Amino acid sequence: MLSPAELNLLSRLDLSFRRPVSGLYAGERRSPRAARSPEFSDFRPYVAGDDFRQIDWRAYARLERLMLRLYVAEEESSLNVVLDASASMEVGTPAKWPAARRLAAALAFIGLSSMDRVAVGVLGDRRLHTPHLRGKDGVARIWSFLETLQTGGAAGPAQLTELDWSRPGMTVVISDFLSEESKGVAQWSAPVAGLRRRRQEPLLWQILAPDEENPTLSGDWLLVTAESEESRELTITPALVAEYLSGLADHRAALRQAADGAGGRLVASLSSHGLEEQMVAGMARGAIRR
Amino acid sequence: MTLLAPIGALALLALPAILVLYFLKVRRPQTRVATIQFWRPFVADRQANTPWQRLRPSLLLALQLLAALALALALLRPGLSGAAGIDRTTVVLLDGSASMSATDVSPTRFDAAVARARRLAGQLGPGQQMAVVLVGQHAALLAPPSHDTAVINAALDRAHPTGGEVDLGEALSLANAVVSGRPGGSILLLGDGHARQPGAPPRLAAPLHFEPIGVSGENLAIEAISRARSNSVFIRVGNYGRVERDARIEIFADERLVDVLPVRVGGNSTADLTWTGLSARTQVLQARITPGDALAIDDSAWLVTSAPPVRRVLLVTEENGFLERALKLRSGIDLTVRKKANFKAGEPYDLYVFDGWVPPGKLPEPALVIAPTDGVGPVPLGSQLSPGAVLPGDQRDPLTQDVVLKDVHVQSAYRVAVPPGWRTVIAAVDTPLLLVHEGEPRIAELTFDIHHSDLPLRPAFPILVQNLLGYLLPGGYENRIFPTGRPVTIAAEPGARSIEVVTPSGRVVRLGPPFPPSPFSETAVPGVYTVRQQLPAGPRLSQFVVQFADPDLSRIAVGGAPLVLESNRPATAPPRGTLELWPWLAVAALLLLTGEWWVFHRGPRLGHA
Repeated sequence: MLSPAELNLLSRLDLSFRRPVSGLYAGERRSPRAARSPEFSDFRPYVAGDDFRQIDWRAYARLERLMLRLYVAEEESSLNVVLDASASMEVGTPAKWPAARRLAAALAFIGLSSMDRVAVGVLGDRRLHTPHLRGKDGVARIWSFLETLQTGGAAGPAQLTELDWSRPGMTVVISDFLSEESKGVAQWSAPVAGLRRRRQEPLLWQILAPDEENPTLSGDWLLVTAESEESRELTITPALVAEYLSGLADHRAALRQAADGAGGRLVASLSSHGLEEQMVAGMARGAIRR
Repeated sequence: MTLLAPIGALALLALPAILVLYFLKVRRPQTRVATIQFWRPFVADRQANTPWQRLRPSLLLALQLLAALALALALLRPGLSGAAGIDRTTVVLLDGSASMSATDVSPTRFDAAVARARRLAGQLGPGQQMAVVLVGQHAALLAPPSHDTAVINAALDRAHPTGGEVDLGEALSLANAVVSGRPGGSILLLGDGHARQPGAPPRLAAPLHFEPIGVSGENLAIEAISRARSNSVFIRVGNYGRVERDARIEIFADERLVDVLPVRVGGNSTADLTWTGLSARTQVLQARITPGDALAIDDSAWLVTSAPPVRRVLLVTEENGFLERALKLRSGIDLTVRKKANFKAGEPYDLYVFDGWVPPGKLPEPALVIAPTDGVGPVPLGSQLSPGAVLPGDQRDPLTQDVVLKDVHVQSAYRVAVPPGWRTVIAAVDTPLLLVHEGEPRIAELTFDIHHSDLPLRPAFPILVQNLLGYLLPGGYENRIFPTGRPVTIAAEPGARSIEVVTPSGRVVRLGPPFPPSPFSETAVPGVYTVRQQLPAGPRLSQFVVQFADPDLSRIAVGGAPLVLESNRPATAPPRGTLELWPWLAVAALLLLTGEWWVFHRGPRLGHA
């Protein structure tokens, strides 16, 4: 699914969490809990019941006070990748679906490389997902899962609330976020906020086709939606295109507001972008780091 | 209002065609999209969504119909009748006099007249024809009657003003010939009223309409420049306007500025200047008025100050003071006067003048022979007679140029028969008075004793003698001043292999061979002309001046309409032409289409849905 060169690139990248997460097992993610680890965090005075092994005797020699050394706890986190497989993902030139699937594979690889527990699911079908996998052994399973996925049907904000992720961590939603259900600015706000309540840091990754980002249509057209087969006759003029762009910008602003409000991020990229450009888009928004 | 192209009405079919297209349902291509939530419903009014829908008010449809209507009307070529237009057959006379090169009308009066003629040609409608005549020294029919604008415009492209006076009478005669036999004719004269009018008002075959061209009469001119014996130069500056003018006269010696003389000239008066700085080495002197004015052709004057070649002339006469003085008038003449008893044959002279006698044997050449009653002249004299009235000279003949003979009377002359190879230059009713031999040898013979006439008392006499000298003495043009627009007869010297003239602009005009050379006629531009002859002894250069010196044309104030006799045709209103409206309709259609494009692209914001 990904070439060796792309894997080499991805192996040098990591997901950037805005908030520390706590997991069951040691991992590579910063934990809100202090623990023994190579990375020093802080001092604090000793209180009864503390572990003697953590007392810094050198500090006691200097200050004649018992001080405890605190370390950053590095624990595993969970990464949930939710992929939009609705019919609208096949729309556009080039189609968004191949780019979205490769992006999901790439993010899963990054998570597994960082010793996170990674699960991949499908937006709109709560039963279709992988279990949380750990280690690079899970890469093959997740990729084979992704290769079996087919586009079809509809997906919208409501399906996001049906996801049941018990482990805290990050939920990456890869979608075009375009559906007839998503009319209105506030449609995505509630489901994204629900992710936070379930201790998920949302990362909304919007992939659009270039002709959706900048429509080249002009004149008389019959537009048919991919998910609902709804149609509309239009005479597309430059003024109408300007209105489209304005509506799309408002929609993206609403998504960004929803993501920011839930402590997450919004990344936008094009289906024509290669994986490297997708990662650069993620780095530009702070979702990916070296 | 007339429709010049009724077939253009077919274009009106575009109106129902637009309506039909509006009714027909448009077949739209289909495309799949992720969402239509950002596409606000909008269908342009120009298309229907259901076949044969009820016609709804639509700004776009209205604009399209108006644009189509404007285009269709433009194709119909509607026209409004306008004054000073064109009749069924209109002869346009373009005044080509030198004053038409005045720039008081931009770019020049002549160009403005040509532009006016072009506008008239552009308004020709069905059944209307236009001819163009250039009023020059000889009228020229530039375009015969034609309704083809391209033909007339091509003819107007060839029109240029002449450098001098023009003959309106000849042009009116030509216009008469053009409109004769054609219904609805008119003659339109575009000029400034300075064309030379015929002696008697001509009767025209069609009404004459005069459109004056020109706005100003202010003009300064150098009327004369001459060199006195004291080596000073005399310059006369004329002001043909009403306003007193201050100007400067720039003096150029061999094209180098050597002096500037201030001058103030009152309105309609002259001012005389004397300049004493002439160097002995100067070949050509030029005086130029600065700053220039509307008519540039009379702002400069030239003087060739180099000495002309000396010509030895032998006058054999018992006594003829008139002839002696007339011969001496020309500079460079070395005159020898002898009685016939002292004549020695074989003495070399450039010209022999025999008065009342010719030597026996072969006549030396070139020669001017005057009533050779003693001996046998080249044209034998017959019986004596009273020749009757002297006929006017032909102004086109260089020998009688500027020679006015109407006051000349000849008491007695000799009857002669014109031999082959000779031509009559001046004639009386009963006999020729002056004959010249065509070509070589150059011989002229007067058939009367000038003492038996009042010719020596008339201004025509010295002019005639100078003209004869110009013909008999090769190179008689040297250092002389000729008027613009007139042909200059240039005689080649004996043995010349070629002769050519270099104009002030540097153009070389070849006159010969063949010999005798044809007259040089490209004298529209004033300035110094150089004659180049290839002689057996080598090349020889000489110069003459072409000078604009016509007070009638320097007085550039617009003149009045020419005096003509009423046309035999019933008087009509000024010819009415057609002012075509199609350019404005085409512009209106373009604006409407631009508006339709703008409304279409701004349609949603205008509330169309």
